Amino acid sequence: MSKIIGIDLGTTNSEAAYIEAGKPVVIKSVEGQPYFPSVVAFTKTGEMLVGEAAKRQAVTNTEGTVQRIKRKMGTNEKVNLRGKTYTPQQISAFILQKIKKDAEDFLGEKITDAVITVPAYFNDDQRQATKDAGAIAGFNVKRIINEPTAAALAYGLDKEGDQKIAVYDFGGGTLDVTIMEVGGGVFEVLSTSGDTQLGGSDMDSALVDYIAEEFKKRHGVDLRKEPKTLQRVLEAVETAKIELSSTLQTDINLPYIYVVTGEPKHLEIKLTRTKLEEIISPIVQRSEKPCRQALQDAKLKPEDIDHVVLVGGVTRMQMVQKKVEEIFRQKPKREVDPMECVAIGAAIQAGVLSGEIDKDIVLLDVTPLTLSIETLGGVATPLIDRNTTVPTRKSKVFSTAADNQTSVEINVLQGERPMAADNKSLGRFHLDGILSAPRGIPQIEVTFDIDVNGIMNVSAKDLGTGKEQSIRITGSTKLSDSEIERMRKEAKEHEDEDKKRKEKIEIRNIADSLVHSTEKTLEELKDKFSSEDKENLEKALKELREALTGDDMDKIKENSDKLTQELQKASTKIYQQAAQQYQQTNSGDPSKSDESWKGHPSDDDSTINADYKVKGEKKKKKDEDTE
Amino acid sequence: MPTKKPTGTKKNTQETAHHTIKKLEEENTQLHQEIMDKNDKYLRTLADFQNYQKRMEKELQAQKEDIKKKYLLELLDLTELLKKAYEDSDPKSGLKLLLENLDKFLEKEGITYIDCKGKPFNYQLHNAISTIEQSECVDGTILDEIKKGYLVGEKLLRPAHVIVAKKKP
Repeated sequence: MSKIIGIDLGTTNSEAAYIEAGKPVVIKSVEGQPYFPSVVAFTKTGEMLVGEAAKRQAVTNTEGTVQRIKRKMGTNEKVNLRGKTYTPQQISAFILQKIKKDAEDFLGEKITDAVITVPAYFNDDQRQATKDAGAIAGFNVKRIINEPTAAALAYGLDKEGDQKIAVYDFGGGTLDVTIMEVGGGVFEVLSTSGDTQLGGSDMDSALVDYIAEEFKKRHGVDLRKEPKTLQRVLEAVETAKIELSSTLQTDINLPYIYVVTGEPKHLEIKLTRTKLEEIISPIVQRSEKPCRQALQDAKLKPEDIDHVVLVGGVTRMQMVQKKVEEIFRQKPKREVDPMECVAIGAAIQAGVLSGEIDKDIVLLDVTPLTLSIETLGGVATPLIDRNTTVPTRKSKVFSTAADNQTSVEINVLQGERPMAADNKSLGRFHLDGILSAPRGIPQIEVTFDIDVNGIMNVSAKDLGTGKEQSIRITGSTKLSDSEIERMRKEAKEHEDEDKKRKEKIEIRNIADSLVHSTEKTLEELKDKFSSEDKENLEKALKELREALTGDDMDKIKENSDKLTQELQKASTKIYQQAAQQYQQTNSGDPSKSDESWKGHPSDDDSTINADYKVKGEKKKKKDEDTE
Repeated sequence: MPTKKPTGTKKNTQETAHHTIKKLEEENTQLHQEIMDKNDKYLRTLADFQNYQKRMEKELQAQKEDIKKKYLLELLDLTELLKKAYEDSDPKSGLKLLLENLDKFLEKEGITYIDCKGKPFNYQLHNAISTIEQSECVDGTILDEIKKGYLVGEKLLRPAHVIVAKKKP
C-alpha cells in the first residue's frame, strides 16, 4: 500500500509529515525547510509561485499575490489574480500541489493519498472546500481531521481511555482554543473559542515599539520610520525572545544602527525577562478570555480537563506556558514541537489508515549492557556494544600472550567497566590444542552470536587448526531494570579510576611487548649489532624487566622509553651500514636509489614502526595468559 | 482365497500412505527449517538495519559537532583579533587585514555577495520589504538594499532585503 501523508494546511504556514518505520517524520520542502508560507502568486510574466518565493515578492506584486486564503475557504468569494479569477479551493490546491511535489521529491515515490487538517470550528462547507482543494491538487483525500485532534494524536492521547483535552493553539496571527472529549479512540469537540486578531506578530510589534521608543528618547530618531533600521530591530527582537526563554536578561546590541548628524549611533539596550513579560503581558492576557469561554461552553471547570496541549510557535514562550498553567491549573504538554504537532498528528492518522502504524511491528530486543571478553592484563575488550539490537553477530581475531601458549581462556563479560573483574562474568571456557608458536602468531577468532531470544552463543576458533569450542549463555539481554541501572551507575562512578587502571595495564602491556620484541631482535640480529649497542640494549632490557616486577608505572614508562631509544639508535646504525654497502655496490646509479626512496610515502623507519603497531594492537587484545 | 487379495491391496495402500506421510513429514520438517532460517535471516537483517540507524545517528551527530567546531574556531580567532584591534590606538590597518582574511575565508567557502542595487527585482534572490512609488523609474527596479544577500555556491544563503520601485500609474 502506498504512503499516506498528513498535511497541516495552515493560514500562514503549511507543512506535511508521514510515518516511517512507525515514527512520524516531517517532510522538508524543496527549500529545505520543515514548513513554508501559505502564499500563492502569479508574476507579471504569468509564472506561478508558491511558498517562500511568493512571500518574498509579495509587496512588489500585491495585485498578483494572495495570502491567508484559508480564511476564505467555504465562501463564494473569488480571488482575482492578474485578470483571472480563482476560487479559494483553487488557491489552496496550488499550496497542496507544492506539498505533493515536495513530498514526492523527498520520499522518491508517487504520493496520492492524504489526510488534511482543518480548524475545529470549520463548518461543512469549509470542510468540503478543503476536500475539493485536495482533489484539485490530485490528492485522494482519505480524511479531513480537526487540528486539535491531530495535536492530541501527536501526544497519543487517544490511547489513554476517556479524557477531556484542551488544545491551546497560539500562532503568528490567530488564537484557537478547543475543548474535546476522547473515548474509545473517538474525538468529540465540546467547544471552540479564539481570537482571529491575536498572535505572535502583535508581540513582536509591541517589542519593536518599546525598543524604538527607548532609542528615540536617547537619540531623537524613530527607527521604525526607516525600513532598514526597522528590519534590524525586528530581527533583534526575534533573537531576544528566544534568548529570554532560557536566560533572565539579554543585551540587544545593534552597532551602527543610525547616523545622527554625521555621527554613527549604536543601539544598546538591556532587556530583562521581566521587562519582556511586562510588554507582552497585555497580549498574553487577552488569551485568557477565549479559554474561559471555551470551558464555559463545554460546561467544564478547569479541574475537569485531563490534558492541555500546546500548539503554535508562541507557546514556546515561558510566559505563555505559565498563563496556560494558571488558567487550566495544570502543566501543559509541550514535548512535541508545537510548530510540527498538527502535521505529525495528521501523519499518525494517515499511518493508522494505511496500516503503517498498527501492522505487526517486530519489536526487537537490545543488549542492555556491553558484552566483552577478558584480554591480557584483565582488560575487558568489547565485542558487542550496549544498546545493540539483536539478533546480531560479531567476531574479532585475538592471539596468544606468551610464546608456545597452547590454550586460551575465553571469559565472557557483561558490563560497562573497562576492567574484566568489575564486570559480571557470564561464563568461561578454554580452547586447547593451539599449536606451539611465538606469541601473537596464532589467530583465534572469537564470535558472539545473540539470537532473537537473547540466547548467546560464544565460540572460539583456532584459524590455524580449525579447532573450535563454544558455550551457550542464556538471558544476555534479560536483566532487571534495577540491575542494569546499578551497573551503569557503577560504571559512571568509577569512570576516572577505571580509566587510570586501564592506562596502567596498557603501559605494562606495551612494556611487556617491548621486552619481547627486543629479545627477539637481539637474538635475530646478534651479529649485526656492535658489541657496545648490544651491551646498551641488554642493560636497558634488564632495567625494564626489573621495573616490570614492581608497580611503579612511571618507572616502567621511563624504562620503556629508554629501551625504545636504544633500540632505535642501534637499528639506525644497522640501516646506515646497509645503506653504505648499497651505495658501494650500486655506485653507478645513485639517482636510482634516491628515486625509489622518494617513491615510498614513508621512510623505512616508519615501515618498521607500522609493523610494530600491528603487533601491538593484536597484543592489546591478546588473551589472558594461561594460569 | 478371496480374502487374501484385498488384504494385500490394503497392506499396499497402507504402505503407500505411510510412505506418503513420511515423505510429507520430511518435507514439513524441511519447510519448517527453511522458514526458521528465513525468519532468522529476516530478523538479523532488521536488527542490522536498526543498528545501522543507530550508528548513522551517532555519526551524524559527530559530524554536526565537527562542523560546529570548525566554525567556532574561526570565530574564536576573529574574536581574539578584534579584541586586539579594540585595544589598538590606531586599529585601521589591522582591521583592514582582518577583513581581508575574513573575505578570503568566505570566498573559500564559496560565498558570493548578491549585487542588487539598480537591478530588476528577482524573487529567487531578493526579498522585497517595501515599495516606493515614483513617476520616473523602471517598474520593479531595486532602489535600495536594506540587508545584503549572499549565495553559497549556487544556492541562496540569504536573500537580499530590498526596496523596490513602483511606477506611478
